[in-house]
Amino acid sequence: MKTLIATREDYLIAWLAALAVTIHIAESALPTPLPGVKPGLANVVTIAVLMRFGWRTAVWVGLLRVLAGSLLLGTFLSPTFVLSASGAVASLAVLGLAIHLPGRGFGPLGYSLLAAMSHMAAQFGAAYALFIPHPALLHLLPVLMTAAVLFGIVNGIIVRSLLKHLPQGH
Amino acid sequence: MTRADWILIVVTLALLPLLYATLWQRGGLGDQVEIWAAGQPTKILSLDQDRTVHVHGALGDSVIKIQHGKARFVSSPCSGKICIHSGWQSHSGELAACVPNRVSIEILGGKRKYDSINF
Repeated sequence: MKTLIATREDYLIAWLAALAVTIHIAESALPTPLPGVKPGLANVVTIAVLMRFGWRTAVWVGLLRVLAGSLLLGTFLSPTFVLSASGAVASLAVLGLAIHLPGRGFGPLGYSLLAAMSHMAAQFGAAYALFIPHPALLHLLPVLMTAAVLFGIVNGIIVRSLLKHLPQGH
Repeated sequence: MTRADWILIVVTLALLPLLYATLWQRGGLGDQVEIWAAGQPTKILSLDQDRTVHVHGALGDSVIKIQHGKARFVSSPCSGKICIHSGWQSHSGELAACVPNRVSIEILGGKRKYDSINF
């Protein structure tokens, strides 16, 4: 008989995903000035995980966060979920490419900024393509991107100071 | 901060104003108005001809007035009346919408960056 054995990595992913889900849900209670604009603090966890445990773990944590977060908030398979999932997939893909940059590569700030912008771009693309295919929506893009850049940089600073205080894992 | 971080931040901050410049530029004066109802473009009218049109929407008739190269909502069966307060529209790309009644107007023609975009 086959049994499933949870590895050390499984526990790690579960803990980190739980942390990200908690932040995700806490953040969903915050009022937003514009649909699509939010700090994306859960991405702090994704970037910190990327830098400490690598891309594979970050993908698990990022995707589990979107899935579990939507199940708990009751938005699973709703437009909100589709937007959130497309953003998460895009930002993880971009991060997957960014880690291969030669030299010293990006630091937490660069990763966070890249993730925030690709998240917003994919989310916007999905919103435009699937829900509101009206050219007027494009007028929102500069504002949304500004917010993404701002939050991306702020989150990057948070990741940087977070990693300073975390003991080296593994 | 690595050098790649700095380069990324500088490039991003330089490109951001460009995004505003391309997507927020006002088109020239338009020459047509496109009327949308129930999420579909229903008709395109010239702004040269003064007229008043009744458009059947989800709640009832919205009345749109075209005069002197401009177009506006003059009445709509919604509660907010945001469409009416939007006033006259005359530049290409400008629009006014009555969301509850699902009727909107958009000015076409003139110098425009795009007329339709698909992904």
